[in-house]
Amino acid sequence: MSFSLAVLIPLFLVLFFNLPFYKVSGKIAIFIASLFCIIQAFSFFLPITANCPISQYFMLDFQCDGISRLMLLTTAIVAFSSLLVLYALEDTDRKQFNFVNLILLSLAGMNGLFFVRDIFSIYVFIEVIASTSYVLIAINKDKNSLEASFKYLVMSSVATVMMLSSIAILFLVAGSTDFVTISSMYQQYSGNTLVVVAIVLFIVGLFIKGGVMPFHGWLPDSYLAAPAPVSIYLAGIVTKTTGIYTLIRLFYSVFGFNTSIQSILLIFATISIVFGAFAAINQSNFKRMLAYSSISQVGYIVLGLGAGTTFGVAAAIFHLFNHSIFKSLLFVNSAALEKQVNVSDMNEMGGLASKMPITSTTSVIAFLSTAGIPPLSGFWSKLMIILALWTADLKVFAFIAIIASILTMTYFLIMQKKVFFGKLKEGFENIKEAPLAITFVSILLCAITVVVGIFFPFILNGLINSAVSF
Amino acid sequence: MSLENILLFKLYVITMPIMFLIGIYAIMTTKNIIATIIGIEIMTKGVTLLLAACGYFNGRPEMAQSFIIIMIVVEVVILTISAGLIFNIVKKHDSLDTRNIRNLKG
Repeated sequence: MSFSLAVLIPLFLVLFFNLPFYKVSGKIAIFIASLFCIIQAFSFFLPITANCPISQYFMLDFQCDGISRLMLLTTAIVAFSSLLVLYALEDTDRKQFNFVNLILLSLAGMNGLFFVRDIFSIYVFIEVIASTSYVLIAINKDKNSLEASFKYLVMSSVATVMMLSSIAILFLVAGSTDFVTISSMYQQYSGNTLVVVAIVLFIVGLFIKGGVMPFHGWLPDSYLAAPAPVSIYLAGIVTKTTGIYTLIRLFYSVFGFNTSIQSILLIFATISIVFGAFAAINQSNFKRMLAYSSISQVGYIVLGLGAGTTFGVAAAIFHLFNHSIFKSLLFVNSAALEKQVNVSDMNEMGGLASKMPITSTTSVIAFLSTAGIPPLSGFWSKLMIILALWTADLKVFAFIAIIASILTMTYFLIMQKKVFFGKLKEGFENIKEAPLAITFVSILLCAITVVVGIFFPFILNGLINSAVSF
Repeated sequence: MSLENILLFKLYVITMPIMFLIGIYAIMTTKNIIATIIGIEIMTKGVTLLLAACGYFNGRPEMAQSFIIIMIVVEVVILTISAGLIFNIVKKHDSLDTRNIRNLKG
């Protein structure tokens, strides 16, 4: 499969859905889009060929490496889960149709972001993803979602301005915006004040987009206010791609590492991990707790990147993959609760394990994986992050990462106890397990978490080492 | 670069942060939703100016031109979406006050 098709097919699908000669119903649109996601996921295992004639006609100049392929797989899995949850939860045909169109546009932007090798194109694709996200968050047009979307728009625009000014400065010094030119320019002028300012601006912009702790204001609101399928999509892949993947890409293939940049990454990551975890402990809303947990886990990814070695980058990308899977799983569970119980406050729930066994079990596995309990997938990626920090002689940060893991365990145990364990609260006697589509998604994601954990040696050689050789 | 060019360059490089600060100040102090968007626009215009200046001074104005045109297209998309959001917010609250949209607490 030629990889530029991953960008072109979603675009053509959107065009094809919206032609005026016929009417495509929401269910058919969901079916075609999920078929595309399955094909994209399987294309990970196929050998990737060079540009096909169609893409040469459109003058797309893309390159694909291991990280891009891993991200393609992750995106496909999360988008597929989000589409199935959409099928189960949303019953208005028109809304389903709009959803699918927006998700396909966003997929096109994301797949493009994985392949581009030019910082200005990075800006363009990030804006494509962001503009679809604004609409997706506000799609129900209620007060909270409009407010969250507006907040995201303002924050994200400030981030965009920062990134663009950084791009302008780098363009001024290097004379071009592709990765090779900027990389060779950076080796020459790495001490120049203007260049350092440009890089710091770029990092701060990406931190805002990724929701790292001091710049996280918009993130819990948008996860909370968005409808369930959108929360899965946003938390699982959008913020991770626009913020964190781009950060990894920039430092892995353009700038490389030096101590001052590493210390910026490490300090912000530590703040994000510790305060994100403490904020998550205090939450009573299920989705809000998951949002703060997401901030904390993003901190781990940035911490792995901050180790400054290729092993650290591999650990970061592996944790990104794992985090996408288990955080989507937790958001799928929250969608199941939202659909069946219709309460979002954790204090009002209780004893749901007997009524919703699949949701309860998968959520246990997801949070054990997040907290880093062997042999689940999250354990291995956290171990890799800690090893990377230890070998890079950053033992303090490795220690903080281990301690904060206990905090992760704390808030998830509180969640599990409040929601699923204990005595069944009154009024919940007639609750049934979530619809088949939702349980299917949670079992699928749960299986991925377990399989990646148990077959870790194969995954390490086949998936991670081919993405980033260390 | 000649002395005249250096002075001109400094002028542009100073202008951009000033416009950025004006924009941030507008976003933080205003009570009007539309004024928030105007603040964002002021910042974006500052960046456009910086891009144009950078293209002029490194001798590749044609590349800067294409960047700016793409930027304007993206900006229009974002503006359209924000107009839609504002339209719906005003329909819900019947006023343009930003204090109405402070229910969610971070």
